[in-house]
Amino acid sequence: MASIAAAQVQEVRSITRIERIGAHSHIRGLGLDDSLEPRAVSQGMVGQKMARKAAGVILQMIREGKIAGRAVLLAGQPGTGKTAIAMGLAQALGPDTPFTSMAGSEIFSLEMSKTEALTQAIRKSIGIRIKEESEIIEGEVVEVVVERAAGGGGARVGRLTLKTTDMETNYDMGAKMIDSLLKEKVQAGDVITIDKATGKINKLGRSFARARDYDATGQQARFVQCPEGELQKRKEVVHTVTLHEIDVINSRTHGFLALFSGDTGEIKSEIREQINGKVAEWREEGKAEMIPGVLFIDEAHMLDIECFSYLNRALESETAPVVIMATNRGITRIRGTNYKSPHGIPLDLLDRMIIVPTSPYSHQELREILNIRCEEEDCQMSADALTVLTRVATETSLRYSIQLITTASLVAKRRKATEVSMEDVKKVYSLFLDEHRSEQFLKEYQDEFMFNDGSGDAPQLMEVSQ
Amino acid sequence: MQNEDKILEHLVSVEKLANEILSDRHEIVMLDKRRNQNREALRDLSKSSQKKCWVTVGSVLVKHNLDDTRLLLENDQKQLTVDINKLRSDLKVKVNSLRDLEMQKPIPGLMLVPLSSKETEGLSSSKLIPS
Repeated sequence: MASIAAAQVQEVRSITRIERIGAHSHIRGLGLDDSLEPRAVSQGMVGQKMARKAAGVILQMIREGKIAGRAVLLAGQPGTGKTAIAMGLAQALGPDTPFTSMAGSEIFSLEMSKTEALTQAIRKSIGIRIKEESEIIEGEVVEVVVERAAGGGGARVGRLTLKTTDMETNYDMGAKMIDSLLKEKVQAGDVITIDKATGKINKLGRSFARARDYDATGQQARFVQCPEGELQKRKEVVHTVTLHEIDVINSRTHGFLALFSGDTGEIKSEIREQINGKVAEWREEGKAEMIPGVLFIDEAHMLDIECFSYLNRALESETAPVVIMATNRGITRIRGTNYKSPHGIPLDLLDRMIIVPTSPYSHQELREILNIRCEEEDCQMSADALTVLTRVATETSLRYSIQLITTASLVAKRRKATEVSMEDVKKVYSLFLDEHRSEQFLKEYQDEFMFNDGSGDAPQLMEVSQ
Repeated sequence: MQNEDKILEHLVSVEKLANEILSDRHEIVMLDKRRNQNREALRDLSKSSQKKCWVTVGSVLVKHNLDDTRLLLENDQKQLTVDINKLRSDLKVKVNSLRDLEMQKPIPGLMLVPLSSKETEGLSSSKLIPS
């Protein structure tokens, strides 16, 4: 009874917690069927069939381990779902495959060099599978008997009776085991595990058979099934860690806390070499498996020529991850040089890449995406409001129109309506400017702003010459 | 007609393997039960102060020399541990081949050699894997 009440209290709490929603939180996968054909609307993905089908082929190649050391480029105009496809790919790969997502500009930092940042990102995308094995005794405690010698002196002896659904047995215990049992407050009805090598006792919970022993139980009381099968089990746990995690804990100046704070600094190349050697040794002994993961670099045109040549070399290594880049640039200057190249990426790197184009969404697809976003943001949208939003999306941009969903739903909430109507959308459309109208406004009132040089082509000044 | 035969053949092989896995699991439980009983007996023998003890062989009770009995039990324990370990490692192969028959992917990392206890300790003390 008490546990049900506790569960209800938990539920109330989770409703009041504010859930944050990301721009691509609605993506659950690539939306492909078993034969890798894209479904029209599935797993949050809409349209973009050719690109998704291509991503599906890449997914299959990653799964079979055939693509390591190659790169993929997602190219297309802004707001055509490049990041969405990369996210979908990450979801479809599952939690076991390491997936690192970074923006091209992330590598420019004062704390570490560009190549160090890239190396860390690459090593974050390579996982190693290792196995931990321990012999444990697992069972439900039937009885604990501790006999104290009279007068306080002398060794104490005790007996522990454990059972599973299939057997029951006694263990004689020495003073140390008695102490740790008493410390863990083990009593009849608890389900415990004892590690054979270390003697460590772990309480898993209380047996369901004892659920009615007391009328009131503490909140932390957890009920578990009586274990099945043999008492002495072999427990095998498979862990997946990334090379970067091993690097960080082995670089002596930073502890494991650096993993959480992200403040890892530069890691010496000797340490990396040592770790590579150890991992190679483990692989030889059959103790470790390599899982090449995926490194996703968004806004890849922000990388400069040094990074590109570094990547070119890094892809040659036999333990390279799959590198997926996304860019929305056409033929443009390669950062750090005066040469122009398609997508702002040098031709030699481009040559190694599989290029997947994305194309602008159709009217119907835009409507579908907006509908999905409405659901994701928990907002009831009337049909005509959705039509207006779709038109806004075709005329301005999909991103602007998605921004309007939340703002319009707030306006609707203000007038205590359950559904967002056309008027709400129109109101926020007049309240918030889109990029085009903002530009127009600036052009019209140019003279009244500060630092105006009157030429009207101010953006050229923003260009940084590296 | 040929298709039906093929399906039947496939189903038979799946069921046969699954049955083997279940009976192996049961066998391990039975062996572990005996291992624990032997362990209890050994402990009782070490406490006993008599020269002889009663041993059940099947349904027959035999009075037997204490030291010989202990030797018998200890040898039995060794054999049991070997048998259980063998069954466990065979079980892994069987589970993977069953998954193969059922068109499922093999369990990741099932055939890995476990890290040595020292390596495990190192990784868990640096919080890389939960201890």
